[in-house]
Amino acid sequence: MLKFAARQAGRCALGLLGAAAAAAAISAIALPHKNGLGPFLLAAGVRLWGFLELDFGKSAISGLSAGGELAHSLPQTMALVLAGGCVALLVGVPLGLLLGAGPIRRAAAPLIQIVAAAPVFCAGMALAWGAARGLHWPVSVNAPMQGEAPIFTTDPAALRATALPVLTVGLAGAAAVQLALRRAASQSAREAFRSGLRRMGLTALEIERFYVAPQVIGGLLASAAEIMLALLSAALVAEWVFHRPGAADLFVKSVALQDWNMAALILFVFAALTFLADLAGRVGAEALASKDKP
Amino acid sequence: MSAPGEAPLLRAALRLLGWCGLGLIAVAVALGDFLARAPAGAAFVGPMLSAPSAEFPFGTDLLGRDLFSETLHGLSVSVSHALLGTLLAIALGGFFGAVAARLPRPAGLTLRGVFAIFASVPALLLAILVIGLSARFYAPLAAGFAAAPLAFVRAFDRVDVNSAHAEYARATGISWTTLLRRDLTYEFRDTLGTVAARALAAVTIILSTVSFLGFGATPPARDLGLMIAAAKASYLHAWWTAAFPALALLVLILCARLAAGLDESERP
Repeated sequence: MLKFAARQAGRCALGLLGAAAAAAAISAIALPHKNGLGPFLLAAGVRLWGFLELDFGKSAISGLSAGGELAHSLPQTMALVLAGGCVALLVGVPLGLLLGAGPIRRAAAPLIQIVAAAPVFCAGMALAWGAARGLHWPVSVNAPMQGEAPIFTTDPAALRATALPVLTVGLAGAAAVQLALRRAASQSAREAFRSGLRRMGLTALEIERFYVAPQVIGGLLASAAEIMLALLSAALVAEWVFHRPGAADLFVKSVALQDWNMAALILFVFAALTFLADLAGRVGAEALASKDKP
Repeated sequence: MSAPGEAPLLRAALRLLGWCGLGLIAVAVALGDFLARAPAGAAFVGPMLSAPSAEFPFGTDLLGRDLFSETLHGLSVSVSHALLGTLLAIALGGFFGAVAARLPRPAGLTLRGVFAIFASVPALLLAILVIGLSARFYAPLAAGFAAAPLAFVRAFDRVDVNSAHAEYARATGISWTTLLRRDLTYEFRDTLGTVAARALAAVTIILSTVSFLGFGATPPARDLGLMIAAAKASYLHAWWTAAFPALALLVLILCARLAAGLDESERP
């Protein structure tokens, strides 16, 4: 187990280094350098060294430190991803377990395809339309609303303003969660141990509880990176549709205004989040799988 | 969770349905200019924000454009752009991944590592970045590039370099290029349709989203994502301005997904 965790940590560190190198190459565009591959690689090296020293350069838009700018907007995105992740687990896990059952899985397959075909921005706009027309909420998808509503709050008005972006991110995450669960259930359904355990006298419930459930949960954990990618993508769209200032929204503005230091840093942070989720998920899955091993 | 269950008949039927749907979309795109009653972007063809009626089946938008014609034109732009991106995603992802897996192991694993770094960034962000670094004109290629890393990793991991026939080929002195050519021929003969449909679905989602965010198609050539973005100003009280382009987009992605035959044991 320790060997596995060390190997995965090494993979993660290598991935982070690669992501830092890619971000440094993007950031190097902002540095003045002569044309040609040599000077560009030199500039990228300078930026990579800066990254390793936690100097991420300055934002071309505000003139402030890129790290400081991101520190201001990242908590908004992380709160959105966290709240969306909770919704994703609350909706996706029961859905995945329900739809993972044999006959229901077959019947639900076309329905799942239809739901999965909806791009996140269409889902967000549909939610906004439903809230505005059905619940008469003050929804704005075309202009910023007054003030910034925090994600975690007990104020009903602020909750209404944050519910739609959280739901949008949550539903996108739920799609990824239920897919991971159904995939794990499908793989587990093909395992040969089932018939052997039945012959040994175990009931179907015992097999499900002691052998299949850990496999399925392990499958979900192993898909943590995929779920994180879905949540981050959805956060970008939700911040844009519902005018919430966050890191994802900042990324779009940075690329539009060619603020490469900022864009590179955000890209690196998102890649790092995915790598760390992958590491935690894989180690968790392995720990679960090796729990009963002698 | 328990019962193993494949439904080959249902899956085959759904795949057929997906391919038929894609065929119908291809016909609609080919006959788009003939079926549409107004040229692309023609304003004040009818009254502003007119609800769906016999005269305007999909209604009209804020500028009095016939939404039926606009949706057909938008579908045509979306499909043509998505096909371009799909070609790049197949070449750079599926094909290159299958080739890289058969390169000498250190070179193959290095390439896989590089693509895994790109795959760790949401494809949408990658597409936006590539468009920002180049130009909106290259949005279809950017979408294809963004969809490629996951396809590369998937194709790479699917290859079993220690398969029995590979061992036999090595033992009998068959060159690795011959083996590669043979493997790719068989692999792509069997899976090209699935790979292409899967890439089409992924590229269409990325492309429509970047257009929605303002990084994709440029007016007057509006694709479905840009049409939906433009409808943001009016759709809360005139639902049809966003609903029909969104429905067309949904049908396109759904048909591609059905044609790919995605099931729960596969990564999307």
